[in-house]
Amino acid sequence: MALLRLENVSKHYQADGSAVRALEDVSLDVAQGEFVAVVGRSGCGKTTLLNLAGAMDFPTSGRVLLDANDTAGLDDAGLTELRRRKVGFIFQFFQLLPTLTAVENIELPLLLAGQTSCRDRAREILRWVELEEYAARLPHQLSGGQMQRVAIARALVHSPKLVLADEPIGNLDNASGDMVIDLLARTAAKLGATVLMATHSLEAAERADTVVRLRDGRIAEIRQS
Amino acid sequence: MMASLVVFYRLMVRPLRREPARNLLTIVAVGLGVAVVVAIHLAGEAATGSFRSSLETLAGDADLEISAIGGLDEGLLADLVSLPYPFQFAPRIEDSAVVHASGQTVPLVGVDLIGDTSLEQLFGQESPDIDVLTGEDSVWVGTRLAKQAGETLALRLNGTLHRFTVRGVFGGQGIKGLSRETLVLMDIGAAQRLLRRGRRLDRIDVRLPRQGPQRDWRAVLRATLPAGVMLKPSGSRTRENRKMLSAFQTNLRVLSYISLVVGAFLIYYTISVSVVRRQTEIGIVRALGATRRGALAAFLAEGALFGLLGAAAGLALGRLMAGWAVDMMAATVNALYVSSNPGEITVTLGTVIVALSAGVGVSVIAAVGPAREAARIPPTEAMARGRREYKARLRVSRNLLYAAALAVAAFGVSLAGPIDGKPVMGYFAALLLIGSSALAAPAAVTGAVKLLTRPVQRIFGVAGLLASRGLKGSLSRTSVLVATLSIAVAMVTSIAVMVGSFRETVALWLENRLQADFYLRPAGRPSIDKHPTMDPLIADAIEALDDVAAVDRFRSYEITYNGLPATLGAGESGVISRLGSLRFLDGPPREETLAMLARGDNVVVSEPFANKHALSVGDSLELPLAGRMVSFRVVGVYYDYSNERGFVITDRATLLKYLPDPAPTNLAVYLTAASDPDTARRAIEAATANRPLFMATNQSLRREALKVFDRTFAITYALEAVAVLVAILGMAGALSALVIDRRRELSILRFLGASAQQIRRLILCESGLLGLLANVLGVFVGTLLSLILVFVINKQSFGWTIQFHWPAATVIAALGLVYITAILAGIYPASVAAKLNPIEVIHEE
Repeated sequence: MALLRLENVSKHYQADGSAVRALEDVSLDVAQGEFVAVVGRSGCGKTTLLNLAGAMDFPTSGRVLLDANDTAGLDDAGLTELRRRKVGFIFQFFQLLPTLTAVENIELPLLLAGQTSCRDRAREILRWVELEEYAARLPHQLSGGQMQRVAIARALVHSPKLVLADEPIGNLDNASGDMVIDLLARTAAKLGATVLMATHSLEAAERADTVVRLRDGRIAEIRQS
Repeated sequence: MMASLVVFYRLMVRPLRREPARNLLTIVAVGLGVAVVVAIHLAGEAATGSFRSSLETLAGDADLEISAIGGLDEGLLADLVSLPYPFQFAPRIEDSAVVHASGQTVPLVGVDLIGDTSLEQLFGQESPDIDVLTGEDSVWVGTRLAKQAGETLALRLNGTLHRFTVRGVFGGQGIKGLSRETLVLMDIGAAQRLLRRGRRLDRIDVRLPRQGPQRDWRAVLRATLPAGVMLKPSGSRTRENRKMLSAFQTNLRVLSYISLVVGAFLIYYTISVSVVRRQTEIGIVRALGATRRGALAAFLAEGALFGLLGAAAGLALGRLMAGWAVDMMAATVNALYVSSNPGEITVTLGTVIVALSAGVGVSVIAAVGPAREAARIPPTEAMARGRREYKARLRVSRNLLYAAALAVAAFGVSLAGPIDGKPVMGYFAALLLIGSSALAAPAAVTGAVKLLTRPVQRIFGVAGLLASRGLKGSLSRTSVLVATLSIAVAMVTSIAVMVGSFRETVALWLENRLQADFYLRPAGRPSIDKHPTMDPLIADAIEALDDVAAVDRFRSYEITYNGLPATLGAGESGVISRLGSLRFLDGPPREETLAMLARGDNVVVSEPFANKHALSVGDSLELPLAGRMVSFRVVGVYYDYSNERGFVITDRATLLKYLPDPAPTNLAVYLTAASDPDTARRAIEAATANRPLFMATNQSLRREALKVFDRTFAITYALEAVAVLVAILGMAGALSALVIDRRRELSILRFLGASAQQIRRLILCESGLLGLLANVLGVFVGTLLSLILVFVINKQSFGWTIQFHWPAATVIAALGLVYITAILAGIYPASVAAKLNPIEVIHEE
């Protein structure tokens, strides 16, 4: 049983008065613990695919099943609940809250879900990304690589089944990028979370179990590494 | 130039359209601030414009006026007329009458209808017979009395009812300026008889010779006039009234500027947001060739644009608000200074200039700080917000130090005396204190966040944590917001404390001062500068009653001292000493002071009079009485809160020595200990039957006085309500800006699992925290401001000693209201935040 299933998914929207077909008839199954890289040119639909997978958006047609939950059948509150329990997001520009320390940023998904005692768990995951000593630092006091590792810790803190990473190394140097990819691979392998990563980097994509190539909103190729 | 305008339009004006609601809020807030200034300016002009009395209008193009306290002997007119120069003299009697049917008090003027050629136009083609002109039942009236020629008009003159026949109405062709008056005109001889003036005149208007050899006409006249008779330029009364009112007007003007100051903080905030949000754009434009000066000018111009639009809106709204302001100001002026009817409200070029300088001037000044920040941005640099805010946090301690320095300076400045009778340094101290509180705001926010984060998180969960951190995280913005709202709160607090203290002081004073059981005066609306008299026999009749222990006969005269209007009064110091109550500030004990008052030419003066003219016990003051300058020694300064003009009080016997008119203006009746007030009242009513008198108990007078007090301060409350409204509107706009500025963070929260409800709660939590902080800081600063108001500004402007009193219930109720509205101001931004589309926002970023 796939953790994430996209069945004939299309996503169309209007931009400046003209219709944009971001995704067209995409079907994809991603298994629990699988590390999948989505590659393709800018504008090919990678981010749209991730947003649909992460229950941030509804498809225009087709179905998105996340852990057997059809996102189309959920309202805003239902989608929020689904994200809280099952999805972790990682962004290209880290998107840490500048007013919170590293550990507070990591705690945030747990707090938003209503948990109160989450410091231990946050520290534990911070240790996992090897940044325990940076717990009290504010984002602007961290390097880019460190910020992205904190962002990964934040995405993992609530033990999601699906981790979505949108160009996670697009803003990092090679060394930091390698470290982040290692971390994502470990996440899938050791924590059993499914990782769906959009990337431009073919080198990074090679580290994934499966590479999905998108072209003009359609799947052009699915290749196992 | 054209190219600069195009760039300005594209980069500065066009982006404003992206947030119409928020920009509209800023413009409305500035517009309200300008409107208040315009309203007070217009209302002030209208109020002062109305002081020109009917008598002065009648004086036409007269150059000088001759007058004396208690009136002039008409023999003086004969002496003047016999001078070998072509002067023109016009004798006048001025008093007031009460229209029997409506109770309206109207000016009554006696003029020489036969000899005064300037009045011929009153009668049109045909002059009436001499018997009609000089008849005791003949009057001519203004159109506002709504009477026709031939109708009967019943008037009460000094407590006696008279019926007159209206012989004519001043219409459009009447004497210029009189057509809209309620004036009643009659022959001077008839007026003398009916008003029991004997051979006395109130005034003689003088028109100097226009042709022939010119001389020092003042000196010629002066040589003829006995000592104690005053020779002043025509219209002096108007000038004196204006001078007297200048402190009152200045204080209201200053009060009206507070809304503008609050508006200035909002402009500062709006431009700051604009600078921060366009940081990258500024960098790029700088890299493309824009100069630092260009960046500075662009943001100053943006401020000016907001100011211009606000000024335009404020001018229109201010004209509207001026109508209400005039009514409220007139109530105060009539209660405390001089009787007047509000004049016309006229928008002039001066008004437009006031609006523009208020709106544009203040906006540009407010924009200087952020515009300089914009100019300092180097090409292509885009400093991360977190880093910028981190720098702002580093400046907290330094700003706190500056705040402390300003507070100390405010204290030092507040100790200085008045300048030209105005508490200039008091205002400056208040301004320094406001500056100090603005500089202390970042420290207050930081400290509060440290203190409140845990409890707020406990109560509101993660929304509370994020809200309190958000306050600290956006310190450069939130501290401006806290400063803005806290200034409005400080104003509410300081005014509430000042008015509350004043009210409490007046209430205590009334309790102590009004010791007589009954007070009587001629019927009709009381007027501060008119002193209608009653038949002296009335007092004798009341005094003869069994229930009555004593009657204090009080007589008032209108005087001018050192170019300012005041009241000269005389009471029976023996009665006051035995039964009354008069509290003195300093000098010998009360009994001794009153004993001295009864002997020789001694006076006691009210506190406002003493302060205004720098008099204290032992000093002398000279008054022109009975044809000579009489020197009086000040033996006491007493507390008085009844008006701001001031009183000079002597013993009745002393005054009668110089002005032998025994008719009193007021009576204070003291009952015997054994008498029943109801029985006594009936007895007094029987003794004064058929006399149109107004009788009040001490309780009803106290109630009435406090009612007048509350009415007096209505405009103050209205002004502070507007300032709070400006702050709340601004806060709604500023919170929206904060939401837009932080939309990335809010969207990330949605990605991380925050519900729309949580986002809404987060913004409401922030507005609640901002409101709380502003309230706490505002109450603290407001209490300090109230000390300046009570002990410096009020004392130097009006001369009253006010006992400090903190009206807890009023302050708490007002603050509760401010707090609730502050939270309500968060509703719109909260809904904007909840509706953000996180995917779009992250994509944009």
